[in-house]
Amino acid sequence: MLGFILRRLLIIIPMALLVVSVTWILIRAAPGSFYSEERALPPAIEANIREKYGLDKPFYQQYMMMLGNVLKGDFGDSLRYQEQSVNEIIARHLPYSATIGALAYLLALFVGLTAGIIAALRQNSAFDYGSMAFAMLGLSVPNFVLGPILVIVFSLWLFWLPPARWGGISNLIMPVFTLAAIYMAYIARLTRAGMLEVMRSDYIRTARAKGLDEKTVLLKHGLRGGIVPVVSFTGPALASLLAGTVVVEKVFAIPGLGNIFIQSVLNRDEPLTLGIVAFLSILIMIFNLAVDISYGFLDPRIRYE
Amino acid sequence: MRAANWSVFRVGLAMVMVSAFLTSCATEATSRFYGKTEAPDDQVLRYVSGSEPESFDPAIPTGQPEARLLMAIHDGLVEYHPKTMKPIPAIAESWEISPDVSEYIFYLRKNATFSNGDPIKAQDFVYSFQRALEPEFLAKNAYLAYYIKYAEAFNSKHAFVRRPDGTFILKRELAGSGQVPEVSTEVYGPDTEFGRYLSSPERLTVPADEKGRAALFEKDEKLKALTANAEFVPVVGSDLGVEAIDDYTLRIKLRQSAPFFIDLLSHQFFKVVHRGAIEKHGKQWVRPENIVTSGAFKVKEHHPYDRIVLEKDPRYWDAESVRLNGIEFYPLEEATTMMNLYKAGSLHAVYNAVPPAAWIETLREFKAEYMDHPAVTLQYYTFNVTRPPMDNEKVRRAFALAIDREALATWRKTTKPTIDFTPIGIFPDYEEVRDRVYTKELAKQGRTLDEWKAKMFDPERARALLAEAGYPVTRSGNSWSSPDFPISEVELLYNTSESNKAIAEFIQAQWRQNLGLTVPLKNMEWKTFLNVRKELDYRGIGRAGWVGDYMDPFTFLKLFYTKDNDSSTGWYDPKFDSIVNEANRELDPEKRFELLALAEFYVMDKQPVLPLMTDSTNWMKKPFVKGMYPNPQTLHPWKFVYIETDADKWDQNAASLMKDRDESVLSHVERLMSTQTAREATSAESVAAAQQPSNE
Repeated sequence: MLGFILRRLLIIIPMALLVVSVTWILIRAAPGSFYSEERALPPAIEANIREKYGLDKPFYQQYMMMLGNVLKGDFGDSLRYQEQSVNEIIARHLPYSATIGALAYLLALFVGLTAGIIAALRQNSAFDYGSMAFAMLGLSVPNFVLGPILVIVFSLWLFWLPPARWGGISNLIMPVFTLAAIYMAYIARLTRAGMLEVMRSDYIRTARAKGLDEKTVLLKHGLRGGIVPVVSFTGPALASLLAGTVVVEKVFAIPGLGNIFIQSVLNRDEPLTLGIVAFLSILIMIFNLAVDISYGFLDPRIRYE
Repeated sequence: MRAANWSVFRVGLAMVMVSAFLTSCATEATSRFYGKTEAPDDQVLRYVSGSEPESFDPAIPTGQPEARLLMAIHDGLVEYHPKTMKPIPAIAESWEISPDVSEYIFYLRKNATFSNGDPIKAQDFVYSFQRALEPEFLAKNAYLAYYIKYAEAFNSKHAFVRRPDGTFILKRELAGSGQVPEVSTEVYGPDTEFGRYLSSPERLTVPADEKGRAALFEKDEKLKALTANAEFVPVVGSDLGVEAIDDYTLRIKLRQSAPFFIDLLSHQFFKVVHRGAIEKHGKQWVRPENIVTSGAFKVKEHHPYDRIVLEKDPRYWDAESVRLNGIEFYPLEEATTMMNLYKAGSLHAVYNAVPPAAWIETLREFKAEYMDHPAVTLQYYTFNVTRPPMDNEKVRRAFALAIDREALATWRKTTKPTIDFTPIGIFPDYEEVRDRVYTKELAKQGRTLDEWKAKMFDPERARALLAEAGYPVTRSGNSWSSPDFPISEVELLYNTSESNKAIAEFIQAQWRQNLGLTVPLKNMEWKTFLNVRKELDYRGIGRAGWVGDYMDPFTFLKLFYTKDNDSSTGWYDPKFDSIVNEANRELDPEKRFELLALAEFYVMDKQPVLPLMTDSTNWMKKPFVKGMYPNPQTLHPWKFVYIETDADKWDQNAASLMKDRDESVLSHVERLMSTQTAREATSAESVAAAQQPSNE
């Protein structure tokens, strides 16, 4: 088990470097640069900029320089926000994304699991049909449609909730719900399917035969097996939720990491883009690892070597 | 069963949505104002800063949204007039301009201080200008200051050339006398040693690094011979044409005559910065805990990508007249998000070009809030005059006449048609003079101003001109054709964008309909496009747009000035240059405008470009926001802005805002102007007094 974890942790570093390298090449391949302006810069000014940032050096030298900095964990200062370091920007904006992401995750988990379990237990009932229809809707309406619809109804028509920006709890409601909707729906369907399968399996029948009460059967034996598919879905989902989601942050103008990420790409802010990509890739790999480990606890049939 | 439930649900949802829309439309129609309209009682304006500002350092950002933030926290020698954008006194109480308009003397007010209480002195301006122009500082806006003597040389790492005998090689020794702008070599204002150095004939500068120099010498044998045995002395900050004569008197010497330079000085690039804060904190000086500002407002909080909170600075020299207690800037990018926040009442105004095209018909109904005054921009097409058939003036004129610009503007919704190179409605005084000059010039050719203005669209005349050029246009059925025209030599090049494509297709259809010519369209990625257009590698016609840097017609006309001009047409005419030079040496604004109009007439008669339209500002503000005007750049000097809580005094008609008189704002402006008016009066008297004896 420990060996497995160590091996997986060691792979993360070269994988992250690979991701960063590919990103670097993509950034360099994209037309335009951080100093491009609508109005062409006088050649003298452009030359000054290229010299200062080492853009006049050979390509491989620039690559080695970049790689060296990344290995040291120092992405340097943002090219656009010159007084701010990349690490500082990530640290500052992660909490916004994490707050919305964590709330959305909890909401999705709570509603999704509850609805899924009840639907499975009362299969073919009105609740089952109703909640699964809702789940279907949640899956098929993309968040860039759901968000604006909520804004129209609750902000511009009813004037109940602010249409955008960070602020109090009222600012959180719509983004959290928009973000949670699709996960909620997916979790409900996964839970329902998982529970239906597990509740018909032999070991549940054994548990019931032992005379255990229905509550223990359901929560101690049924749920553990039933939510394995949910866990493998929500692990990576949690990583991407915490790290920021571009669409929701854009629609609701939330200063989260997803928004910053897109801006950094549009600004061709190379250090910031690389920093966020490295951070996200490591985060996702760690969450995947956590999911793999948790399988062992949930399902006694899975063993690690 | 399941499917039936599903569709019932969908229909239900659709009904809810539709009724939501209908109800919201209904409430809008009955209300005079757009969305929630409640004046806050804290005198704090909620506004947008565009994307997260690049920096609070006035010399770094280039974007217009950032300019609006920077002008709240930094002050300069002069300030924009809230309506006309012309310069009014700020830290400089008054100024004098030398007769040849190449030297400015500024008299600073003695009570101006930074936000930490330090006095603002002439030396601070010298430092601010030198710092912003340092090549290592990498200011993208540095080119704005290139009119200052040796600014370009310093910023682009050039060196003076010193002969063994200690004298410097002068620029005019190399170039013919006509190539170097004539400026007075006499010191204007107080006579100082540095002043005499600044007024001495302009020195030659060459790249300071050997590689750049070698490349230059290779091309120029004469220069190489002239500089043999000479020593190269790098141009440094202290060589710049800026001098603190004493603590409160500042001299700026230009390399050429430039009456518009004073308009340029309101730009954020020329604002004063605090040397101590910058030297202590380096790049970090712009952080809220370190920053020292000089404007009417100071930075209270900065939450990147979320909000910037400014509060009134009680130490500001004009604080008594500042009415807002603070401004909150929200960094927002999405136009629809801004409009939603505006409608919900959390934003009090949006900036120019924010309302999306699809909303404009609805927004226009809100007459108290929606504004579409002209912006200081021009959209036009360039002709490559170096290649046939566009080297023929008549062909160019024919193409220009064959476009129905009115129809184009009606379709675009937020533009106004134009045939001139200086946009309509931006420089009213200039336009008045221009009409007069044009009438006179046209009379010489036996034409009238009305005929000229009809150039807007005259397909018959266009066909006649094309025939005169040797490409007859014949009628075939319902359409026209011009079989002799070398259409394969012409294409319309534009940079890839939806709106550029739509406009190009519109114009292509016009030419097909009116001249029988189908000009092929070609699009290119922005950077590639810029290069092709600049190198004149395009065939026939290219797209172009220009935004004025300052409020003077020259910001447009300069595109045709000098041989290596930025017009991307290949057009150059020394006669145009000599009229412009004469104009810029003229201090009397009316006479200068006459000469500029003459120059504009001259170039537009040759038609190296095809003007299409002027954009409109297209923005909104709540009726309770006063002192914020739809000026051509939608830049707002915030110290004139206030929130009117009395609903009876709210704006009712945004269209008349520029004409309406707001006495409180006007008296504030007049009070500020009074020091300069007094200075002008006394210097006029002294000039008159000096002339008196010689007349006798």
